[in-house]
Amino acid sequence: MKIQVKGVGLTKFGELWDKSLLDLSLEASVEAIKDALIDEKNIDAVFVGNMLIGKIAGQDHLGPVVASALGLNCAAFKVEGACASGGLAVHLAIQGLLAGTYKNVLVVGAEKMSDAPTSQITWALMGASSSLERKAGLTFPALYAMLSQAHMQKYGTTRQQLAYVSVKNHFHAALNPKAQYPFEITLEQVLNSSRIASPISLLDCSPITDGAAAVVLAADTNSKGVYITASAVASDTIDLAQRESLTELKATQAAGKLALKQAGVEITDIKLAEVHDCFTIAEVLAMEDLGFCPKGGGGKFISSKATKLGGKCPVNTSGGLKACGHPVGATGVKQIIEVTQQLRNSAGKRQVKEANIGLTQNVGGTGATVVVHVLQN
Amino acid sequence: MSSPVTVWRHHKNIRNYLNKRGKILVWTKVFTAPAGFEHEAPYFVAMVEFEDGYKMPLQLVEVEEKDLKPNKKIITVVRKRGKVGIDEVIEYGIKAKPL
Repeated sequence: MKIQVKGVGLTKFGELWDKSLLDLSLEASVEAIKDALIDEKNIDAVFVGNMLIGKIAGQDHLGPVVASALGLNCAAFKVEGACASGGLAVHLAIQGLLAGTYKNVLVVGAEKMSDAPTSQITWALMGASSSLERKAGLTFPALYAMLSQAHMQKYGTTRQQLAYVSVKNHFHAALNPKAQYPFEITLEQVLNSSRIASPISLLDCSPITDGAAAVVLAADTNSKGVYITASAVASDTIDLAQRESLTELKATQAAGKLALKQAGVEITDIKLAEVHDCFTIAEVLAMEDLGFCPKGGGGKFISSKATKLGGKCPVNTSGGLKACGHPVGATGVKQIIEVTQQLRNSAGKRQVKEANIGLTQNVGGTGATVVVHVLQN
Repeated sequence: MSSPVTVWRHHKNIRNYLNKRGKILVWTKVFTAPAGFEHEAPYFVAMVEFEDGYKMPLQLVEVEEKDLKPNKKIITVVRKRGKVGIDEVIEYGIKAKPL
């Protein structure tokens, strides 16, 4: 598989009160098309990754909303897969390119979350969970809190090791001008932040974010550039209780294994990764389930600074979901953009030296959908 | 809130989960609640495994935080669920209390 990332566009992430979902989508799309050096009339299809706007603002049918605003009459789709909506949109766009149906596609991930109160956003996000979980009054922080506790019980992972994920990702975000929280935080600040769902505190959680990310993808052009060489999706039960284990995400393991096989590389070949750190435990699980470290060793591995900029394999150089922000439908596309910028050697102060192979992992729900991409230059 | 017909349908299933015994696997104390549960926060929710091996998430009642630990025995009970308005149907559901 060789799908070229021809152009990228990314808005600032944050609480963007003066911009609508459409404003954000257009800003990122126009930037991506300009970066791709193609006429927008050559876009054959538009894929929009979004989860929440239908629920919190009543706007469905998002594909043609974005395409028509760009002056396009091409095929247009909305893709929804909870927090993996963006990654799924990229995956489906790639299928259209591989099938030969399209030559150039625009993928936009966008979310506008700050217009709704926190309780409404929390409720809307729970659409990605099971009815039993909703009836029990669970939230996503609470579900990941139980995953955290299971990992602490089984492997002795410490509260400090989890908190270090936030500290590291804020360090990276401080180098990223597009990040929602471009500043560093301390371990003590994470540990002493207000409790959301024990043992998870506020600074273990990704925030409510507005933002959009867009990429122009093209079928093999044989020109020099960054290519997506693997795109894999796997799924698991929506209901956490029906899983065999609470200390692993099988969909990450399956998608990761398939992606590495598609790309023809080993996990040790990966020079950087953007993974789904919606909560600190999620990055620990990602490291283990993708094979960066042994099962149960994720907390220790991350605390060793192996995944900090300058380490063996920097992870979440964008700041991740925690500190760059998590506009749900945009996240999977933003991950592709961060790795593309690294492989283009255009990541500025957060540039990973000799970056040539990168990986992204985008999770929906508590791992019911996982999308893994591999990019190479 | 749920519509009256969905409450009626849900209530028909309550008997299937009543008086079941099991144990707590993991739990959390929810401080930031979703819409409809704000008035109950903070509250405990556990992943419970019944004696037949079936697992489900259940809100815990009549529980002290200091008594919570892995493998703590529980039994299911019926309790009111969520918040309802003055002219809305009261919804009941399964919760768990320690034994």
